[in-house]
Amino acid sequence: MKKITALIAVTSILSCEPALAGNSLVSPTAQTGIAKSSLSATPDGEWNRLGRRDGKFVELWTKDGDSLNKVSFFGGVPVGEALFKEVDKKNRPLPKVSDGMLITDIPTLLESSYRIQFDVRTMTIESQEPATLGGHPGLRFAYTFVSGNDEVERKGEAFGAVVKGKLYLVSYEAPSIYFFDKDLPAFRHLASTLKM
Amino acid sequence: MALAISTTALAQEKTGAKAGFTLKPGTVRIILMRPAISVGSQSTGGMREPNADWTNQAIENLTAALKRTQGKLGNEVALYDEGVSGEGALTSQYANLFGAVSNSVIEYQFFAGNRLPTKKRSKEFDWGVGPGLSQLKSLEGADYALFIHTRDDYGSTGRKMLQIVGLLAGVGVTSGIHQGDAGLVDLKTGELVWLNADRAMGGDVRTPEGAEKRVAQLLEGFPGKPVDPAAPGAKK
Amino acid sequence: MRKRLLAAVALVAATAGVKAADLLPPFTVGYEPTNVDERGLWMDSDNRERQIRDSKLTVHDEELNRYLTGVLCRTVGAERCRGVRIYVMQVPAFNASMSPNGMMEVWTGLLLRVQSEAELATILGHEFAHFELRHSLDGFKQQRRSTNAGAWLAVLGGLSNTNTSGLQLSVIASSFKYNRDQEQAADLLGFRYLAAAGYPTSAAPDVWRHVMAEQDATAVGHGRRPKPEYQDGFFNTHPASARRAIYLEAESKKIGDTGKDDGAARLRAAIAPHLPEWLDAQVKLNDFGGTEYILEQLAGNGWSGDLLYARGELYRLRGNPRDLATSIDFYKGAIAAGYRQPQVQRNLGMALLRSGRPADGKSALGEYLRLLPGANDAKAIQALMAN
Repeated sequence: MKKITALIAVTSILSCEPALAGNSLVSPTAQTGIAKSSLSATPDGEWNRLGRRDGKFVELWTKDGDSLNKVSFFGGVPVGEALFKEVDKKNRPLPKVSDGMLITDIPTLLESSYRIQFDVRTMTIESQEPATLGGHPGLRFAYTFVSGNDEVERKGEAFGAVVKGKLYLVSYEAPSIYFFDKDLPAFRHLASTLKM
Repeated sequence: MALAISTTALAQEKTGAKAGFTLKPGTVRIILMRPAISVGSQSTGGMREPNADWTNQAIENLTAALKRTQGKLGNEVALYDEGVSGEGALTSQYANLFGAVSNSVIEYQFFAGNRLPTKKRSKEFDWGVGPGLSQLKSLEGADYALFIHTRDDYGSTGRKMLQIVGLLAGVGVTSGIHQGDAGLVDLKTGELVWLNADRAMGGDVRTPEGAEKRVAQLLEGFPGKPVDPAAPGAKK
Repeated sequence: MRKRLLAAVALVAATAGVKAADLLPPFTVGYEPTNVDERGLWMDSDNRERQIRDSKLTVHDEELNRYLTGVLCRTVGAERCRGVRIYVMQVPAFNASMSPNGMMEVWTGLLLRVQSEAELATILGHEFAHFELRHSLDGFKQQRRSTNAGAWLAVLGGLSNTNTSGLQLSVIASSFKYNRDQEQAADLLGFRYLAAAGYPTSAAPDVWRHVMAEQDATAVGHGRRPKPEYQDGFFNTHPASARRAIYLEAESKKIGDTGKDDGAARLRAAIAPHLPEWLDAQVKLNDFGGTEYILEQLAGNGWSGDLLYARGELYRLRGNPRDLATSIDFYKGAIAAGYRQPQVQRNLGMALLRSGRPADGKSALGEYLRLLPGANDAKAIQALMAN
């Protein structure tokens, strides 16, 4: 039966997630070893850590579900690696962290990854300014994007830095309507407590 | 988004409502947003055939049934009319957003194994699309917006036969898709005060009686609605 | 199906010397769906049209739409194109389609790839041919018959513990083959529109040659060998591009209309306002080989500033040490070719910094800030300069 459903144009899409017992509570205390890296942060409220792994170096937090608000921690992606686990390595390879990349290369890496991996069709980097990430010099940038998956316009704000040749990135993304503003203060507070 | 599921595995009927929310009859005006109603048939091979006649009938019957049901509460239900507001695109964004919200409710609250810890505390139903909806001119004068999605694919005779034969052979075959979401949003606050998301609904929406039954299911647990005497064969 | 195909080919061949108006079959205006199946597809399309109208991913550009409608009307004639609505969708890939209710969708990736108005007309005509031949419905019905049989086979296999996989594949294969015949019929009717409209018919085989060449370039860019042959793959619902190019080339030679104006300049003018955005979306897909191919094709009439800038971006984003050096040359070439957007200085500066040329890099970045003092990344660029 599986073979048939793979070959025949079945218009129903199995989109249920298997029942993972993996979503855990993040309490407003110091959280260390985020994304299995040296990243740590102290939120000022409760979050949920998703059991789902989008890649070797990614950890996801959310308040209401990742399609409504999502904090992504990328913990030290090394040169030659992509931000996410590739869906189709052969035909749609993701761009990789490159040697000597500048802080202003970080938003481009994210945008390119999103266009390939998540069918993002429009994306604008609205602003970029220097900032520190865990005490290291890096970049803070803001963006807007729309994916073909659900056509909901989303906004994002992120902090990134290249430290000892590895990329660290922490982003917050949510629909432009209502959700982005709702938890932005909580994200900014979280970002201010980031240590490496 | 459609789910082809075996009825045992995943979510059955689920309702969530904002704690303590009630609706007093005859006090509010509700706008029924452009319902996404789609009816077709599912061939033996699982392919979907959209059917214009059935869908038109379903839209007519479901809309009339909705009006009758709300009429029982004495609350006014008006159909969304973009008019000259030019708000079609923005309304579309809100409809997409509502879809993202209800999918999140299903994925992270209704699925027991995947719940978000912060949403696990009993009685808590804290979802919304934000207060911006109240700014829409095309929604002026209304208190609530009711978003409805239904999707029905009737299994063909061949499909049903296949299902029976399949059971004998130990091969899982689903027949038909009957799903619906109904969500009530408070236009002042944008709060989702009530959501019913059912992935295994009853009622043949192509007939007035079936549409009546479906609406009863969609609006089961609707805040303030008096309990209906059970219709014959009504799904619990 | 083969008979119909041969008849169509014969018709085209026979009418090669006849007046343009006689080349096309009579067209019934105002087609309304009658039976239940057809109305189903029309209705689905109506819902979709409303969604597309209100979508954030639809390009709303009246002038571009006027141009596309004009090309369609020239290609299929005023009678046929009346009532057709064209929507341009923001998708960085080669595709166009037409719904039974007269709505046509064209992807931005297609507008980036067609090399002339004649090639665009080939595609629009092809899609209209599907509409005229009412293929949406036919294909749908045929798929339904095949998938029914396939599903039964699987169950029977389960019951009798027999391996029915061989049978399954042949049933499915016949379903796909039917679609290939439809594509060929649409190719041939579309070709007739093209000829009747006075476009050079060599555009038809050219479109498919470009598709194949781009696929090859993509494969090579990803370190794979290009496909040695373009046979009709088992699950391929389009006649293999090579086969298409061959039969369309044959038809074109029969007409013998080389030397006609292909409208390349008109097309370039029409898409010029969108070219930078669409090139940017393409570059960011990390398809080095395919993007190089597209740029080289677009540069057939010379490397403009836009194209050189995009090429610089392509190399800089791949980012190997040699690539950075190459990108510097391309950015400089863009400036020499008259490219005036400040971002070229910015990205040139970044490439120079990464190439171990800090003085030159900072100079270019400084020029960027001079040209665009209110840049939304000014502070970040200043930080780069301060290192």
